[in-house]
Amino acid sequence: MMHGTIRSVSCVWVVWVCLFFCSSVTMVGAAPICANAQGGCHVLSLANLFDRVIQHSARTHGISNNLHTEFEQYFMPSKNHIGRVSRNCHTSSILTPNGKDNAQRMAREELTEVILKLLVAWRDPLWHFHQSMAHHHDFNNFSSNKALEMSNMVHELHKGVEKVAEKMQVLGIISNTVSSLVSPEALLASDSSEWRPMRDYDLLYCFRRDSNKVQNYLKILKCRIIPEHGC
Amino acid sequence: MLWKAQSRRSDWTGQAAVKRRRTFRACFSGWPSDEVVKSRSAVSLWRFKRKTSKITPPEPHITECISRDQATFQCWWSPGNFHNLSSPGALRLFYINSLASEWKECPKYVHPNRECFFDNNHTSIWIPYCMQLRGQNNVTYYNEEDCFRVENIVRPDPPVSLNWTLLNISPSGLNYDVMVNWEAPPSADVKTGWMRIEYEIQYRAGNTTKWDALEMQRQTQQTIFGLHVGKEYEVHIRCRMRSFVRFGEFSDPIFIQVISSKGSTFPLTLVLVFGITGVLILVMLIVSSQQRRLMMILLPPVPAPKIKGIDPELLKKGKLDDLNFSSTGGGLGGPPTYATDFYQDELWVEFIEVDAEDAGTGEKEDNQGSDTQRLLDVPQPISHHMNIGFSNAVSFPDSDSGRASCYDPDVPDQDTLMATLLPGQPEDGEVKTSPAPERLLIRTQTAGPQTWFNTDFYAQVSNVMPTGGVVLSPGQQLRIQESTSGTEEEPQQGKEHKGSEDSEEEKEKEEQFQLLVVDPEGGRQAAESNTPQMFAPPSSPIPGEGYQTILPQPAETEPAATAEDGQSPYILPDSPQSQVFARVADYTVVQELNSQHSLLLNPPPRQSPPACRPQHPLKALPSMPVGYITPDLLGSLSP
Repeated sequence: MMHGTIRSVSCVWVVWVCLFFCSSVTMVGAAPICANAQGGCHVLSLANLFDRVIQHSARTHGISNNLHTEFEQYFMPSKNHIGRVSRNCHTSSILTPNGKDNAQRMAREELTEVILKLLVAWRDPLWHFHQSMAHHHDFNNFSSNKALEMSNMVHELHKGVEKVAEKMQVLGIISNTVSSLVSPEALLASDSSEWRPMRDYDLLYCFRRDSNKVQNYLKILKCRIIPEHGC
Repeated sequence: MLWKAQSRRSDWTGQAAVKRRRTFRACFSGWPSDEVVKSRSAVSLWRFKRKTSKITPPEPHITECISRDQATFQCWWSPGNFHNLSSPGALRLFYINSLASEWKECPKYVHPNRECFFDNNHTSIWIPYCMQLRGQNNVTYYNEEDCFRVENIVRPDPPVSLNWTLLNISPSGLNYDVMVNWEAPPSADVKTGWMRIEYEIQYRAGNTTKWDALEMQRQTQQTIFGLHVGKEYEVHIRCRMRSFVRFGEFSDPIFIQVISSKGSTFPLTLVLVFGITGVLILVMLIVSSQQRRLMMILLPPVPAPKIKGIDPELLKKGKLDDLNFSSTGGGLGGPPTYATDFYQDELWVEFIEVDAEDAGTGEKEDNQGSDTQRLLDVPQPISHHMNIGFSNAVSFPDSDSGRASCYDPDVPDQDTLMATLLPGQPEDGEVKTSPAPERLLIRTQTAGPQTWFNTDFYAQVSNVMPTGGVVLSPGQQLRIQESTSGTEEEPQQGKEHKGSEDSEEEKEKEEQFQLLVVDPEGGRQAAESNTPQMFAPPSSPIPGEGYQTILPQPAETEPAATAEDGQSPYILPDSPQSQVFARVADYTVVQELNSQHSLLLNPPPRQSPPACRPQHPLKALPSMPVGYITPDLLGSLSP
């Protein structure tokens, strides 16, 4: 009798736990966000997608800024030294508009492509940057976590911008020339080991600049396509 | 320009960094020569710390480079201690960036400010710029610190159109909230998203020096909570690029002040509230302490029927037989009509004086008296005052009270007469009153001063007046006054049997009263006398008369009177203390009652109108020629 009762109770409990977890799992994956109104996913508006992406890029740039400031505090006495600038960055090969006029004159497709290229180019270097920071005891855990976070954020940002591009293509805002595949330039930039010799600080410096670029380009794109709110 | 990126190192001490920088520079052919670098190395070392101090170097140097809109920028220089180079044109500014291969001169000089302006065409973002000053003879003053990227030197202009609106004021009137709003600086291109700006509001109270900063705000409005009424606040705002550190200039301050309008009324309201509360508490205390007295004043008890000499309990029970009536002759078989309900004890019982000229004046405790009076509404003889008064001094010595005199000394008895049951009220021959409710009507004879006296139920007739009036036994001090009203009535009534009304009054309690039944006038209906022939205590004592007069009833009986109940013109209330029969010497046999229940001691002459005939011949009486009417006989005398 005791055994029967215990067994029944445990069965019930197991069933309940399973139901609970299943429901939570289904809830988590219940409504994935997608750009197209395919079955079973939330459809977000383009404005909403843009907002999310821009917020994400702003956060990324903020983290890179913080890390860079920390580095400068501990390791680099002077600021903005041209010696450490831009030529070192492995993304210099990617043609990016350097001024407001240039950016505004650039076509939407080109701008989107530039953004994607930049994001692709930084995936690997950031990952390695995080690895190097974690291994060296000079950096505290706070910085190491930030580096990891930065790396993840770039990854997510890239996915997000891809979705935005997809949506724009669906809506006909941009032509279908923007491929989700990585362009040869970007591939070159990421595959090349140009970034390997770079110092951590230079990486940070370059990434800080490039994240600002990404943020700026996204905002310009958004305000050009959807000028309603937040511009 | 060949760059050799050095291998990554984790060792970043200051000195090593300086060394590496030098190595870099050495490889860069376009950069300044080593001599310059060396001369500056001391300075760079000296500027090791990130937070550089603001000590100006002696040589000419670039003071600052600022971009306002991330599309153009300006640079300022200073000659330092080299005052010979302070003249415009002595120093020239050269710049280089990664796009250019050589140093270029400033595109636009603003000499009065020692400023160099770089317009859109000469500005590129995200690429490094370096500045250089050159004097005559190609002397170059270069500092490696003067290199920057334009996005890092952006300091936006201050926001514009700063103003505030009042959101609300706290209920206490001491604090308030304001909403501050502004607009982005016009130079910053936020519409296209080129610049993303965040704002910082700072405010301070007028007399402090420390500014309070609020959170960075991305919207163009912000709420400031908890400002104090009456204080003046100063508010200004600045902004910067998001994710960057350099703020622009502060805007011009605005001043916020809210003057309290209800500050003065707030304590006044408090005072009022507390005052009213205190007063209420005081009133309640008074009420609770004086509860009984207040109840007496506000809600006086309903007067119970109380006739002097009559036990009110008997009245309530209706046992009229038990009532000690005396000589009612007129047949008190019916429920006796009591003229008045007199209260001797209650102080509030007062006389009712009705002035003939102005009818209805005077106060009355009982409506019936004045109502009857008004109903009767007889045009009074001018000399007469109809007084209907009730007072504790009126009428009958209360058996309960023990007072011999019913008269209240305070009562102006002179002018007020008791209401009387006298049917022979001269005035109201015609007026009929509804008898039943007029129990308390006591008509006072207004013909001259008439006094009434408390009467007992028993009265011994001692004499008979020639006019037909009956004089009751003199066992008490009686005060009788001849009433002249009877004479007046005569012409009106033309009745043979007219008697002057005698009214006797007696004030002192110790005096024993005998009820004077008066039905003097013919035609005078017992209407008004339907009120039981109870006599109000006379207003003025009449000394010395020891007898009472009973006036014969008028022969006529008016129909209304007959309809009345309890028409007996007189009633003889009992006065227990009166020893009516103590000293009675003579008495007369009541022969008959007339129609109005009047006691006829002498049979009326035959010539008298038959109306005078009492309706209630005392058939039984002759059987008892001599003697008093005893109470048991009284019952047989019912009409």
